[in-house]
This record gives sequence, structure tokens and C-alpha cells, in this order.
Amino acid sequence: MAPVELLIELTLMPLVAFVVGLMMVLMMRRIAAKLQRRVGPPFFQPLYDIVKLHGKKTQVSHGLIHDIGIVMAMGGYIAAETLLPVPGMNGIADKGDIVTLLYLMMIPSLGLALGVGQCANPNGSIGIARALTAMLAYDIPLVIVIFGVSFAYGSTNLVTLIQAQQAGGFETWGAVQMPLLAIAGLIAMHASLGKQPFEIYIAPAEIATGPMVEMGGKYLGGLFVMQCFQLYTTSVLYVSLFLGGGTTWFDFLLKSFLVLAIPVSIAYLFPRYRTEDLLRLMWKWPVILGLIGLAFVM
Amino acid sequence: MTFTPLDELLLYSGATVLVALLLGRRLAAGWMVTILYGVQLLGLLKMASLGYGGTPISSSLSFQVLGQTLSWRFDALSWFFALITLGSALLSSWYSCGEWERAFRRQGGNLWLFHLAMALNVLSMLILLASGDLLSLFIGWELVSWAGFLLMAMAGGIATKAAMRYITYAMAGAMMIFGGIALVYVSAGSLQYEAILTAVGRMGTAHLWMLVILFGAGFGIKMGLLPFHLWQAPAYAETPGPGSAFLGAISSRMGLFAIALVLVKLFGVVNIESLKIPFTLIDARDLLAWIAVLTIILPTFTAMKQNDARHLLAWHGIGQGGYMLLGLVVADAMGGAGGLLHVFNHATYQAALFMAVTAVIHRTGTADLNKLGGLVVRMPLSFLVLLVGIIGLAGLPPMNGFVSKWLVYRSLLNQGMPLLFLASVIGTLGTILSVYKLIHNIFLGQLRVEHEQVREAPWSMMIPMLILTAIIFITGLFPGIPLAWVASVQQAVGLPVPDYTLGGVTASSGSLDMIWVIGVLFAGFGIGALIFYGAGPSKRVHQLDNYAGGHFLTADVRYQYSDNFYAGLMHLIKGWYRGSFLWLESSVKSLVEFLSLGMQGIYRRANAEFYLLSIALFVIAWVVI
Repeated sequence: MAPVELLIELTLMPLVAFVVGLMMVLMMRRIAAKLQRRVGPPFFQPLYDIVKLHGKKTQVSHGLIHDIGIVMAMGGYIAAETLLPVPGMNGIADKGDIVTLLYLMMIPSLGLALGVGQCANPNGSIGIARALTAMLAYDIPLVIVIFGVSFAYGSTNLVTLIQAQQAGGFETWGAVQMPLLAIAGLIAMHASLGKQPFEIYIAPAEIATGPMVEMGGKYLGGLFVMQCFQLYTTSVLYVSLFLGGGTTWFDFLLKSFLVLAIPVSIAYLFPRYRTEDLLRLMWKWPVILGLIGLAFVM
Repeated sequence: MTFTPLDELLLYSGATVLVALLLGRRLAAGWMVTILYGVQLLGLLKMASLGYGGTPISSSLSFQVLGQTLSWRFDALSWFFALITLGSALLSSWYSCGEWERAFRRQGGNLWLFHLAMALNVLSMLILLASGDLLSLFIGWELVSWAGFLLMAMAGGIATKAAMRYITYAMAGAMMIFGGIALVYVSAGSLQYEAILTAVGRMGTAHLWMLVILFGAGFGIKMGLLPFHLWQAPAYAETPGPGSAFLGAISSRMGLFAIALVLVKLFGVVNIESLKIPFTLIDARDLLAWIAVLTIILPTFTAMKQNDARHLLAWHGIGQGGYMLLGLVVADAMGGAGGLLHVFNHATYQAALFMAVTAVIHRTGTADLNKLGGLVVRMPLSFLVLLVGIIGLAGLPPMNGFVSKWLVYRSLLNQGMPLLFLASVIGTLGTILSVYKLIHNIFLGQLRVEHEQVREAPWSMMIPMLILTAIIFITGLFPGIPLAWVASVQQAVGLPVPDYTLGGVTASSGSLDMIWVIGVLFAGFGIGALIFYGAGPSKRVHQLDNYAGGHFLTADVRYQYSDNFYAGLMHLIKGWYRGSFLWLESSVKSLVEFLSLGMQGIYRRANAEFYLLSIALFVIAWVVI
């Protein structure tokens, strides 16, 4: 591939991810509004929010690591998007496989954790401790799922995985071939979004929104950007693993939004689990489903 | 007689011991031995061809004992481990020179003994690495055990207790190895590697089983493999700072060296795989792999509960050894490369981590994770070192630890080993939790009043730490550099070699190019920085200017979350920490005590009737049966 083409792809992929992520935030808020019988925000509200937060006059920093943490949180996701193929663009997906992507996606969380740590607020630190615990909870089923899919298709390269699913149309989709893994993956994905009932690390009533407690202005704005990327990455990863990726932009976006709509719709109907209950749930049902699904694959 | 490069290296190393012994009380002794380690490293680099597939270099020293030829030689495996040994010795010794040394002496530490113990450790390790047959291997093994004991025991107090435990384990291990060597001699008629290689094919299953158990357990004790892991963490953690860095980086890897040499090279993974365990679906190789993943998981989760930074790191050192063994026994191209590369990577970040923690102790006087916090504003460079180190330890990009773990994961994926894969990822997740606690409780959160005047670590300590940090990052960016050495090690022990490039590994089932991944990552950081810093200036506030649920914070309020860090997780899993291995150890101890008491009774009393009765009983039993 020509270097210029690759450069354009590497620029476009995070940009697309950001724009789609904004719309996903909008969808999430609209669904919440529908469920709560409200009108919901206007179309550009997520963008307004980001601009507003970045334009605030009072920006409170708790030190250099606080700043760098936010930069890492945004930058890590921007980098991760280039490993996630979209229709017509593969970026550098063949230079780092799904395992790399999985670990690269921890860099933003690490950045956030460091930034929150320097805020010297125990609410934030407890939030991070809970977030890491949640990660230990949902990553176990997620890892089973990823093993199953990559073993079934004999590759960890996302491009190959998507091609293998598209080869035979609907029947070769991961979700059709491995329905149990797909269900386990969906539960793990829901938990990884940190939405209710898995919202243990935000928990406004207990720890005052945890990691966000000392964040305002562009710091909160950075986290907002991170959330856009997180929603996009999680749903697109699921689509790439189970729903055959996208052949055209239309079906790609349709699948991504639909997949995300499932956990989001469930989220606003539930209260919050306690940390140990989240662990118990995640280590039980999705793991059992995943292991049975894996047994079918092996 | 001409000196081979190996002779020169061993002579330099011997000279270092002599200098430490004779001139160790001088003020400049630290610098002298550091320079000598540098000379040794240069001597090793003269043999650099070994790292790129060169032919083995032998020592001109060899002699006959009881008809056995003892010889010493270096091949790619020895060279690779020697490089790590000398590198970590050089940097640890450098770190100890100057201010740390003076502080150590002020506190009544015996500097002469410290330098001597380090020099002896290096010499004995080189002798072990150079062993050319099983007998010289055993000699080297014993030397390493005792030299390690010297370094561990010198601090006195708890350290001596830990060291006594270590030497007990080590001697038990040595007996097993000796038994194994005797068994090999019986069947092969020789202790030369070549003779054993040809004899392995003729050995029966039971014989090979016995050998795998004896050597596996004997060498495993040094590595801290389950269930022989109890000695290691306290012994390494209580050693004086730079000694911990050195021990943590390389000492227990001597066990891995011996496993790679004896189990992988001489016996062969294929032969080990052919040893089936009856009535189960697993074989001896699976058994080793499962021991490896248990060694990953259990010590990692023990580390998470530690409240002393040094103990936390030392427990992780045991856990990371599991990845090395796991990769090595999976023994495909990627697994072997991952396991061996992890030895190098682990040495770099573990040394850096121990040094950073020692720097904190040097400045604040404590490593208690509940008594620190907020030091990033006072010691920013040490924070950077610790951060880079924990990213390496947790195995996240962009540091080198990620590459070796990626290789291990990929080999498990390729070989279709889901449970081992899952277990190794659980180990990594546990590590992430644990290292965040480490960095948070030391450097993040609230700065304590008594630490407000703390200064950054002195440059004599900082420079070796920064060198290690650079190595961690550069070998993460260009993993091809160490992978070239690893590839020749794999060839030397008869494993397949992966298709590596400067930036990583290429394979049809998914490649890795760290240059691209890291390039994109830093470009992402750049864009993130543009967005963040483009949004206008921010105002730095005091740490007490903080949300406190409507209250105002004052300097006497401790506003830091450090104790029982993962409370929610511990709520669920605290019942799983049962101290079963401690119980096992103490029951073995009481059994031995009971038996020795019985023996002593018989021996002391000299009760003739009793002897007569027992002999009579034995004879009757023998006749009847």
C-alpha cells in the first residue's frame, strides 16, 4: 500500500470512530430518554457538550500526571482505532492482531487511572480500584470468547477473521457458528461499557462518580471523547468478531448501532450491582456459556 | 597455552571477587567492582557471535575426576543468560555506588560483604552457565546456591531467617538433582551432554519420569515453582536494595537455564510429552505447563495482598517465572521465543522496579504502601521509572514485557490450549491490579506532610534506573534486537525459531510489528495532547482543594485510599487465601521433626532389646511374605 494511502487511512479511522462515537452517545441518551418518557437531547448535543467542556474558563488541574492521564486516555483510543478494520480500510490491523488491540485498549484506562490517582481524592481512587476489579471480572469471559473465535477461524488477525465470516454470507457469521460465545461476548461487552447494572465504579450515590470526582472542564471533556471512542470500539469489535464485520458502510453502521442498543436498552432498566456481585455474575454465567461454546469450537 | 575468550571472562570475574575481597573496605571499592563488571561485560561481548548463531566457545580448563571429564564452555544459551547476569550486576552495582553506599554504611551495613557477595554471585553464575557436562553443572549449581545464600543472609534479622529457609529448600533441590545425575549416569554411562542426548532414546518410561520429576523439582525450587515458592519472596525482598534488584532480575532464572538445558535440550520436549499420566488425558508436559500457570496465578494474587512494595515485587517475580516456563514447555516457535525473551524483559523491568522502590526507601525510609503517597511531585523521575517498569511487568504496550507475553499467548492460541491461555491472562489481569496499587500508593494520591521536603533520588542511583528504563522501552520498540539472541538460543536447545523482524514477529495467523503499534500510539498521544492543551490553560490547585462531601480538608486529614485496596474483590476471594502451602510446609517440617525425634530416641538410648525385637520382627515379616 502506498504510504500516502496508509496515512489517509490512519487519519480517517480515528476520525470516523469519533464521529460515529458521538452519534452513539446521542443514541444512548435518546434511548434513555425514551425509556424515561423524556424528549431527549437534540442531534448535536454530544458535540456541544465536548465544545462546551473544552471551552470552559475554569480548568482545575491537580498536577502534571492529571493532565497526561487525560492525554493518554484520548490518545490510546485514537491509536486503537487504527487496529480495528472498517469497510474499505484496514489501517495497520495486520501489524497488530486482536490480542494487541485488547491490550492497547488498556492504555487509555491506565492513563485515566494515573490521572485520577493524582487527584488525591479517595473517591476517585476507590472508583479506579472498582474499575480494575470490574475489568478482572469481565475480561475473563471476554478472553474465553476471543480465544474461541480466533481458534475457530485459525487466526488472530482481525482482517482474516472478518473475511472468514463474510466468505459464506450469513451462515459463516461468528454469531451463527458460535451462538454461545456470542451471548457470553455480549454480556462481557455490556460489563466492559460500565453501564448499569455494572456501573460499580461510577456509583454517584456511593463514591461521588468515582473517577470523575475531580474532573471538570476539558478534563471531563477528554473523558467524554474517551467515552465516544469506547462505545465505538466495543461495538465494532463485537461486530467484527460475531456479525461478519461490514461489507458496506451502511450495514456496518447498522450492525454497530444495533449491537450497542442492546446493552444500552437493558442498562436503563436496572439499578447497580455491588462489586462482589458483579464478580460473581461475570465469573459464573458468561464463563459457563463461554466454556461450553468453546467446547463446541475445539 | 592460549586463553579463549571464555577463560578471559572467568578470569575477569575471579579478579572482581579478589578485588571485592581485598580492597572491599576502601571507599572506592564500589566503583572498582562496577568497572570490573563493565570489563566482564566487554569480555562477554567479545563472544557476541554466540548470540547470532556462532559456534560454542570452550574454556581451556578441563580435568578428569573419577573417569569423568569436567569441562566448561559457552553456547548461545549460556551467552544469553550471562548477558542478563552481567548487565544486571553492572547496573545494580553502579546503583549501589555513591549515595546509597554511604547511607548503607551509616545504617551499619557491611559494604565489604555486600560487594563480595555480589561478585561471588556473578562468578558462580558464570561458572554454572559455562558448565559443559552434568557434573560441572552440579558444581556450578551448588556454588550459585551458596553465593545466593550469602547475599540474602547478610542483612540479618528477617533476612537471615528467609535465607535459612532458602538454603533448606536449595539443599533439598540439590539432593534431587544429584539423584537425577546418578540416575542419568546409570543409564547413559557418562555425564557428557552428547552421551545423554543419545541415551535418552533408550531410557524407559519410568526412568524418564523419575528424571523429569527429580530435575524438574530440583531446578524448580530455584525458580520458585509451586509448591516450592514460599522461600523466594521474603528472601529477595529483604536483601539490601541493589541486591534485591540483582537477585530479582536474574538469580532465580538460573533454574530456568537449567530446565532449558536439561529438560528441553537433553531430554527433549517430545520425550517429555510422551510421558502420559495414566487414567488422565494429560502428560508430563501438560503437568509442567499447569505448574507454570499456577505459579503465574497464585503468587500474583499473593502479591496483590502485600503491603510492602519490595515484597509485592518479589512475589511478582515468582509469578513472572511461570510465563517463562510456560512458553518454554509449549515449545513451539512462538512459545519458546516468548518464554526466553521474557527472561530478558523481566530482568530489565524487575531491576528497574526494585531500584525505584529502593530509591523511595532511600528518601523516605519506608516501603510500606500504607505510609506513602503523592510522591510524584517530589520524585518525578523515579515515578517515570516505576511507571515504565510496571507497564512492562503488567505486559502492556509499548514496553518490552508485552512482546514476550504476546508471544506466549499466541503460542497457546496456535496450539489450542484455551485453559492455559485463560489462566495466563488471569495472571496478567491480576498483575495490572497489583501494580496499580503499587504506583498509586507510593506516587499518587495525597502527599504526606512528612514527605513535603523529600528530594529526587541522587543521580548515582538515577542514571542506572534511566538506562534500564531506556532498555525497557527500546526493546519494546525493537523486539527484534533481543529476538535475534533468543533465536540462536532456540537453535541451541533444539527448538523451532519464529520468523522475526526488527519490529516483532510475522506469522500467517497474525503478526506483530511494534514499531507501527508504538508509532501509532505516540501519534495518538500527540493528537490527544493537541486537543487537551489546545483548550486553554488550566490552574494548578493544592491537593487539599478537593471534593470532600461538603467538608473542608486540612493538612492533618489523611485523605488517601491505600489500605485494603481492592476491597470489593477481596470480599469475594479472601476465603481463597488459605495459606495451604504454608500449611503444607509446616506439616512437612513437623513430620521431619517427628521422625528425627524418633531416630534420636533410638540412637541415644542404644536399647539393645528394642533393636533385637525390631530385627526379629523384620526377619519374620520377610520370611512370611
